[in-house]
Amino acid sequence: MSVSAPSNTHTPGSPSGPRRSSIHIALVWLLLSIGWMSANEPTPPRDPASWWAYQELQRPYPPEVKDRRWPRTDLDRFILSKLEALQLKPSAQASKDELLRRLHFDLIGLPPSLNEQKAFRADRSSNAFSNVVERLLASPHYGERWGRHWMDVVRYADTAGDNADYPVPESFRYRDYIIDAFNQDLPYDQFIVEQLAGDILTQEAPTVRRAERIVATGFLALSRRYATGPFELMHLTLEDAIDTTGRTFLGMTFKCARCHDHKSDPVTARDYYGLYGIFASTRFPYAGSEEFQSKSLPRTGFVPLAPPAEAEAALAANRQRLQELRTELARLDASKTAAESNSPARTSLDTRIQQLRLELKRRERSGTHPDAPAAYAVSEGKGEDHPLQKSGDPGQPGDKVPRCFPAFFSKSTPPPVLPTGSSGRLELARWITHPRNPLTGRTMVNRIWQGHFGHALAATPSNLGLSSEPPSHPELIDWLASEFIRSGWSIKHMHRLILHSATWQQTSGFKAQHQGSIKDPSNRWLWRQNRQRADAEAIRDSMLLMGRQLDLRRPGAHPFPPIEEWRWTQHDPFKAVYESNHRSVYLMRQRIQRHPYLALFDAPDANVSTDMRPVSSLPTQALYLMNHPFVQEQARLFADTLLAQTHLTEKERLAQGIESAWARPAKPHELKTASVFLRMCQKQAGAEGLASDESLREAWISWCRVLITSNPFLYID
Amino acid sequence: MNPNPLMGFRTTRRDFLKASTWMVGGGGLSLQAALAHRASMGEAAVFAPRPSHHPARAQHLIIVFLTGGMSHVDTFDFKPALQARHGEPADAAGLRPDEARKQPLLGSPFEFRRHGQAGIWVSDLFPKLAGLADQLCIVRSLHTDIVEHFQATLAMHTGSSTVPMPSIGSWISHGLGTRNPNLPAYMVFAEHLPYAGAQVFDAQFLPAHHHGLRIIPGDDLIPNLKALPRKTSLADLEQEMLQQVNQDHAARRSHGADLRGQMSSLAVARGMMQTAPAAFDIRGESQATLDAYGVKPGDRRSFGWQCLGARRLVERGVRVVEIIDTGSGDNWDSHGDMAAHRPKAARVDQSLTSLLTDLRERGLLQDTLVAICTEFGRTPWTDGLNSKGRNHFAKAFTCLLAGAGIKPGSTYGETDELGSTIVKDPMHVHDYHATILHLMGLDHTRLTYRYGGRDFRLTDVHGNVAHGVIS
Repeated sequence: MSVSAPSNTHTPGSPSGPRRSSIHIALVWLLLSIGWMSANEPTPPRDPASWWAYQELQRPYPPEVKDRRWPRTDLDRFILSKLEALQLKPSAQASKDELLRRLHFDLIGLPPSLNEQKAFRADRSSNAFSNVVERLLASPHYGERWGRHWMDVVRYADTAGDNADYPVPESFRYRDYIIDAFNQDLPYDQFIVEQLAGDILTQEAPTVRRAERIVATGFLALSRRYATGPFELMHLTLEDAIDTTGRTFLGMTFKCARCHDHKSDPVTARDYYGLYGIFASTRFPYAGSEEFQSKSLPRTGFVPLAPPAEAEAALAANRQRLQELRTELARLDASKTAAESNSPARTSLDTRIQQLRLELKRRERSGTHPDAPAAYAVSEGKGEDHPLQKSGDPGQPGDKVPRCFPAFFSKSTPPPVLPTGSSGRLELARWITHPRNPLTGRTMVNRIWQGHFGHALAATPSNLGLSSEPPSHPELIDWLASEFIRSGWSIKHMHRLILHSATWQQTSGFKAQHQGSIKDPSNRWLWRQNRQRADAEAIRDSMLLMGRQLDLRRPGAHPFPPIEEWRWTQHDPFKAVYESNHRSVYLMRQRIQRHPYLALFDAPDANVSTDMRPVSSLPTQALYLMNHPFVQEQARLFADTLLAQTHLTEKERLAQGIESAWARPAKPHELKTASVFLRMCQKQAGAEGLASDESLREAWISWCRVLITSNPFLYID
Repeated sequence: MNPNPLMGFRTTRRDFLKASTWMVGGGGLSLQAALAHRASMGEAAVFAPRPSHHPARAQHLIIVFLTGGMSHVDTFDFKPALQARHGEPADAAGLRPDEARKQPLLGSPFEFRRHGQAGIWVSDLFPKLAGLADQLCIVRSLHTDIVEHFQATLAMHTGSSTVPMPSIGSWISHGLGTRNPNLPAYMVFAEHLPYAGAQVFDAQFLPAHHHGLRIIPGDDLIPNLKALPRKTSLADLEQEMLQQVNQDHAARRSHGADLRGQMSSLAVARGMMQTAPAAFDIRGESQATLDAYGVKPGDRRSFGWQCLGARRLVERGVRVVEIIDTGSGDNWDSHGDMAAHRPKAARVDQSLTSLLTDLRERGLLQDTLVAICTEFGRTPWTDGLNSKGRNHFAKAFTCLLAGAGIKPGSTYGETDELGSTIVKDPMHVHDYHATILHLMGLDHTRLTYRYGGRDFRLTDVHGNVAHGVIS
């Protein structure tokens, strides 16, 4: 930078680019702490030596409580003891209907069917609730729901994020891997190791979960790409890999340490470049970018799923075919002069040439055997240490930093020994999953808690560091984390534990005079359950379900255009929305262009790791609910379904509509009001000249629109 | 218009039933009037004004973003030396270090003349705007960090070149709210998306109602704003039923801020459906005005129509209006021949002039800051040996400021004789943002938002207010 504005002189280079680089989070914190910047809340200095999340994990004994009847599990005693200290009473258990609906949205993101409701209402046995929990945990839709939570955190996307946002058709394999991993209850430690180093595991055990383990490293492959050339601004791509690894598995932000030692957390620049060497020793795939088009640079680094010998044979066949194509094309081009123009022979020759050229292009560009499945995955590069970059600037290399893990957190874990030539990813993964790593278990149980309550116990699940708010119940997090590790890192075990608690089963409503509404209006101490708005996926899926359009099968790959047609640039970037009736977890998600519906309803930006979605109520959402043809179509189909039940009376049909949409029996006044509403609609439609059967249908469509756009549909008690 | 009478807007089913009886009997207020009243009663709390940090010079901001990199040395930063040394090889930095090489200097093919009492140099690309030279402040010393369209466009909007951050319009919305409860505080005319797509007007971690609402010039201005074509006009009845259901639902739940928020967003949406089309309905404009903006009958797309729309939105209290002149294709990115700047300038010159004049004549300019900017400048040398065009240039570029709080007929900052280095009063993108916020009554160091355990700012930890541009 030739010009340095006075404002920049006090900052040691940094964030927004090669010189300034990304965001100076740490600097903000420095300035906050020394009072150069105003903050909403001044933060007292905190000591890493005593910070809750950095302590060795102990299993606390569940505290004593006065009310022995309320707790259903040990977990509840952690909640109740704090409530009792605050002289707050927990809320009553939610009704059966509320529990069933909540449970369904919580575990599979869909409402219970009429039959499921009926069965649960009728089941008076003591294990009625457990049976539903087990049914839902065994459902393939469980992984679609909880896998999507994970995809928010790992910034899952179907495009690379370069300036032209090239599609990554192989990305869906990682999506499906995540869903399968949740469905199979893959032990969380194994889940982590596969995502960071699955490719290295396949070297040790070539036949065990080979494809899955390669695909799992999509976690790293999906690191954000920048600009127009292959691996341009690679130090920022690596920053994403490092920072997302830290946030996702450890609840730590490492990004600030790229330019200088972290100002609040015990992470030094040397720690950062110790990790940097590990990821820089890793080979990342190149999915295309503007120079794929402008300089004909093929994709590289995609990893075949087949075993090495088989993959090598396929690649050799591909190379041979490329050779044949080139020879054949040269021969045909030469023979063109012989064929008379406009003759049938010439036309067929041209067609043939065109076909072969397309095939050549496809084979040259794909960077893998186009007919053999491959993954957007990483593999081992040259294992070596990398120099520290002064002020985060790759143009200012310092001393080489041996690859290592953040020193502060490595005191109770064995020191790393990196095999010669390896990147160190496997060792990093083993360090993260070491039972004595203080952060890993805490981070994940806090996320799981968030999935069940809408809020986590430690409010920023991807940042448990010194800059974060201390959690409401640190002992409970520790108890859950020990239980998690003791169970063999079983996520489903944690679900069972939480769902069977009295805490989770509380009603979300309360009487206005409840002292909690005065002492703890934000419900930090969990004297009730939180009401939650269904998320973008659940709203769309539920609407499709009401219209009987939801396709519950797994769709596989997205219908991207064939690779021989790719020519996107930053001037004309890739941009597509693919309509589908599959569950929303399977919608194609881009990085630069966001999906119009998903973005509107608060689904995350796939460029960055998201630990908590905001919940917004926007007029533009309301416009969608009122005026988008999708909503209208589902309402129409829902109405037709109800009208087709000719054996039912109108009242029975109205009741069925309410029960389907809101998952509870209709109340008498609702039926009465609905019936008046139908009459008014019919009357008006009739006055506008519609025949009586048609006006009846229009009235029912209107009623169904109300059902699926109203708060009883959108909110979960 | 719906002929149905009001069906009551209190919470109980009895009211609904009573109202429906009333309806059968006929009479009462129109439903539309009831809804409009409800919106004006402050249910629309998401869209409300908030106090500034200090007395504001400007209540509104209009950003005109000229996409692709408008050349400074061909428009408002006259370099006679460049003409004199045309063809002389110069050390030209490339987009990346490995692209640095000698390139011939390129004299501007456009003719410069002094304009106004201030004698400000403007090229013949902007003959009309030049006539307003005495109202403009020409900032010749802007600079940015990454010289790619995508990153520079993002920086110009969010202060960050890499990680997506909230847009300046979203920050101002967060800081000041809006003066019209039926329209969002930040609205963006974007027929085509610029580089970095919708990220440039995204609220990111700020509350979502600060998101810039995209207006797509053409037939369907705002997605889902138009009611669906239906066989009957049951929509109003249906909305009233929906409110009844929601109120019944909320009445049985005692902590209902979220539920009320959802209900009020429905009311605001209804308000938008009525207010927004009127904001864009230009039938009431005089022929003289339409002619000035160059708007033909039936036009809902031209740049002139967008400028007129911007004025109408400002009149209606919208806090920040942005016009993105072209998209990521076919824009000011003149690599091959600077002559390609001519149609781009011709497309905006008259309308921008009319916008400024119109705002002034209506007394709106004293409350409205207008910023005409681009993402970076262009090299004083050619892009390639045989090119008559220029490459991207981050080290110096020019933007125009006008209106509320701006020193009229002035220039700010200077570049060297080739336009390749800033020699006086540099204004980094962060300084530019700090200055705009300052004029809007916001202290850029205090306009913060806590997210993920930290306070974030539009200007990161940088930014100095450029007092030299302020009157």
